Amino acid sequence: MNENLIHRLKGHVLKVLHLFALFIAMSIICIPGLWVVLNSFRPTVEIMAKPPVWIPNDLSLDHYRAMFGAAGEGGVPVLQYFTNSLIISLTSTIIAILVGMAGGYAFARFKFRGKAGIFIGIMITRAVPGVSLSLPLFIVMAKTGLIDTHLGLILVYIALNVPFTIWLIDGFFRQVPVDLAEAAEIDGCTRWQAFWKVEFPVARAGIASAGIFAFLTSWNEYALASQLTRSTFSKTMPVGLRDFTSEFTINWGGMCALAVLMIIPALILTFIVQKHLISGLTFGGVKG
Amino acid sequence: MTRFRLPTWFVLLLPAIIVLVAVVLIPLVLSLYSSFTPYRLTRPESLYKWIGTFNYEKAVKSAHFWAAFGRTVLLLTIALNLEMLMGLGLALLVNRVTYGQRALRTLMMFPMMFSPVLVGFQFKFIFNDNVGLVNNALQSLGLTDVAIPWLVDGKLAFMSILAAEMWSSTSVFAILILAGLFAVPRDPIEAAKVDGCTPWQSFRHITLPYIMPFIYIALAIRSLDVARAYDIVQIMTNGGPARRTELLWTMIGRTGYVDAKMGYANAMGYISIFLAIFFTIYFFRKLNAARTELGMAG
Amino acid sequence: MGKTKFSTLLGATAFVAIGGSAFAGEFDGVLIQAKLIGGQQYEALYSRIAEWEAETGAKVEIISKKNHFELDKEFKSDLAAGTLGWCVGSNHSSFASQYPNLYTDLMPYLPAGFIDEYVPSNVEASKIGDALVMLPRAQFDVSVLYYLKSAYADADNQAAYKAETGRDLAPPDTWDEYKAQAIFFTDAPNFYGTQYAGKDEAIVGRYYEMVIAEGGQLFNDDWSPAFNSDAGKSALAWFVDLYQAGAVPPGTTSYLWDDLGQGFASGTIALNLDWPGWAGFFNGEDTSKAAGDVGVIVQPQGSAGIRTGWSGHHGFSVTEKCDNKKAAASLVAWLTNEDSQILESSGGSLPTRTAVWEHVSEAAKSDPFRAEAIAAFKEGASHSFPAPQTPYWIEATNLIYPELQAAILGDKTIDDALADAAEAVDEMMQENGVY
Repeated sequence: MNENLIHRLKGHVLKVLHLFALFIAMSIICIPGLWVVLNSFRPTVEIMAKPPVWIPNDLSLDHYRAMFGAAGEGGVPVLQYFTNSLIISLTSTIIAILVGMAGGYAFARFKFRGKAGIFIGIMITRAVPGVSLSLPLFIVMAKTGLIDTHLGLILVYIALNVPFTIWLIDGFFRQVPVDLAEAAEIDGCTRWQAFWKVEFPVARAGIASAGIFAFLTSWNEYALASQLTRSTFSKTMPVGLRDFTSEFTINWGGMCALAVLMIIPALILTFIVQKHLISGLTFGGVKG
Repeated sequence: MTRFRLPTWFVLLLPAIIVLVAVVLIPLVLSLYSSFTPYRLTRPESLYKWIGTFNYEKAVKSAHFWAAFGRTVLLLTIALNLEMLMGLGLALLVNRVTYGQRALRTLMMFPMMFSPVLVGFQFKFIFNDNVGLVNNALQSLGLTDVAIPWLVDGKLAFMSILAAEMWSSTSVFAILILAGLFAVPRDPIEAAKVDGCTPWQSFRHITLPYIMPFIYIALAIRSLDVARAYDIVQIMTNGGPARRTELLWTMIGRTGYVDAKMGYANAMGYISIFLAIFFTIYFFRKLNAARTELGMAG
Repeated sequence: MGKTKFSTLLGATAFVAIGGSAFAGEFDGVLIQAKLIGGQQYEALYSRIAEWEAETGAKVEIISKKNHFELDKEFKSDLAAGTLGWCVGSNHSSFASQYPNLYTDLMPYLPAGFIDEYVPSNVEASKIGDALVMLPRAQFDVSVLYYLKSAYADADNQAAYKAETGRDLAPPDTWDEYKAQAIFFTDAPNFYGTQYAGKDEAIVGRYYEMVIAEGGQLFNDDWSPAFNSDAGKSALAWFVDLYQAGAVPPGTTSYLWDDLGQGFASGTIALNLDWPGWAGFFNGEDTSKAAGDVGVIVQPQGSAGIRTGWSGHHGFSVTEKCDNKKAAASLVAWLTNEDSQILESSGGSLPTRTAVWEHVSEAAKSDPFRAEAIAAFKEGASHSFPAPQTPYWIEATNLIYPELQAAILGDKTIDDALADAAEAVDEMMQENGVY
């Protein structure tokens, strides 16, 4: 009886502690982000005020209105940037996932000579800092006429994301016991069918998270995009953020407004896609 | 007629290899070559002058280069370890939640929606000594009455950059480790509970080995990716003041584009790539070891 | 009515005669690709492009619109890749000397006497050697002194300053007086005497003008470093003293123009050397807490009796590789002609044409603050000088500024910092074969 009570009490304390820790962690994660969102509704004087204005008393949509307004009055071709970003990010993510699935499967399921070497070789391409890659890449792209095109950036982002997706998907494929696929093959499936019926569902979690990562990387990439884009025809939103900086000034409120427009689609997409994180895992076969 | 058949694994890898050769390898060969020339962007003809290892010697002899090198290693090490620990903690916290977990997971990934450029500006304003959020909060709460120069004092600036970097990237660890946690089989944990193991023991001996590969995957991916911190650091401090926060990436970026000395910048870039290779191979080994332990080695 | 029409007609004819470049349909079917600086302040002018198109029959395609630093990077990449098929580019006097081979000499494409209508010192700063590589637009920048009037009107301040120094409290005319007043006004962390740009090219520019004001030079005639001198040291001491005295915000070495502008607009800085583009911002009710309290006078002088006056201006250039330089030059001339400069300077920026200066002064008469600012800038402009005209200026600033910061923050002594900076610049110049 007494022991039971202690046990229950301990459970309660743990639960409260857990919720408290969770609350603190989520606050740290959210406050700097929400501060950006809040700033997009505040006039710059209030953001930069000293002494600070803690309770916003002047919320408005001015920054958004200006952003959609005419050029020369603070207008920025937001819709064009948005479309560019969306086309480039989605296309490159889908292709990177397909390429990465093929590669990840090869590493997880086949034995071949020099495997470790090839694997590291592929990974290291990711290690090349954007700053050292951007100029030679620019020269190559200039020679092939891919500067300021969607295709150019799509290619770059595929290359950027492939090592990453291969690695991630490889890890998830490895979690599927080989016996499972073999059992399916014995049951009369082809290797191809076995892949889609047995291995793919299990690795879906990995593919979904690789997809989120690839999408977010492309959506947020700046260093290479700023080098390979020129006009509104191909400029993406992170590059568009720079429209709010000029020689002497930074329009921080306006920048926040564009940032909010960047965050919302990414947030929605993440919310939709991440449910696959679990569904792939409900497959009972994982249990040893 | 016999037809040569490429091995399946090679066919599967081919698309990846083609795109990487085109986008990474060819430009890299170009920049490797240029690192042996006095290449200046504003004087294209300088690309055809061979000067041997001059740029490399210059970099190796430069105290500023090694200071930046050391600082980069330090930042990498501290950031990766802290992000890993905090990501693990966050994943465990979220994993225990049963109601509303989906929303919480999305919330957890919130910082990943922020482009590093934006994070740079954001934390530059947050840590501004005069009108920044942090100093305003500290002063309003009466915790201090001086303007703390977050981006100027050597240690504080390093910490500010670290904070920005961690804020933007801890989520990556958390989400990967969380995915790993989902893959942990339930049976052994139940069995351990029946056997009277404490939660810590079952975490240490069952859960942890199982998520180790995920931790190493995350560590390796992040160590490759940490160069993205360039955007953040470039905007927050640009290596300053007085080189107190100079990292390899800011140094290379400034030398290459502002000074237009691309040859020298590429030489420094190549030395720094070895750093990344070292980290990658290190984590790759660890990953394989963890896999062997679980009997998943390939 | 008739009179207005007549004078407009006369104006147009005069321009055609003088500009010699805008005949109707002269460039039918010509396509000019342009890379122009973007941003609110600069884009109002681009509405004039349509008029030029209508007049000449040419078409302008803006293939890149970025801020100046991004454009600079883009030009350098273009040079490297040889992608120079475009014709017109935005340029800046402080950056122009970096790419001596990119832009063509505009002189052969302009009618005789055309260039005489610009302010001579601006034309000088637009040249590399003898080649006129750009035409200046109405975006001229020189810094004058903005101050808070209330800090000077305050009776307590006046009495205390008199008691402390024996001098009357009035906006400073020398940099020594400025320093003393800045230290006097400071009440950290809520109020600071002054602030300065603390990094990148910006601090080197500020240091450069201070060296000149102290009677020194940044470079000798052969471009070897000359700032490791007494003038160089006393110039740097000004920055160091203010920082060590706590008279500037402690983060000042991380500040660039935007931080400074926001700082003064927050009403917590007494004295601020700053650019013309901020005048309207500082005195705007919506943008500044200091609105109505802002005074503007000419920038102070150094111990050598020379006023500071590091200046720069934006302009437009035509590439050497351009297919139709005549059309491109006509566009550039159009964008910097009198009407264009009147339009652009109505946004608050400073012109680079003599006649437009008069127009601007005239237009400001009804607004006392504007008149005060224009008068200050007009005088300030007369003391102005451009950044050192060497292709290695930006590279030199990257070697110098970390050392200046080291001295300001106390990591190094002034002597050591300048010696190290001079050595680095010397090495760089030699490596580049300058001497």
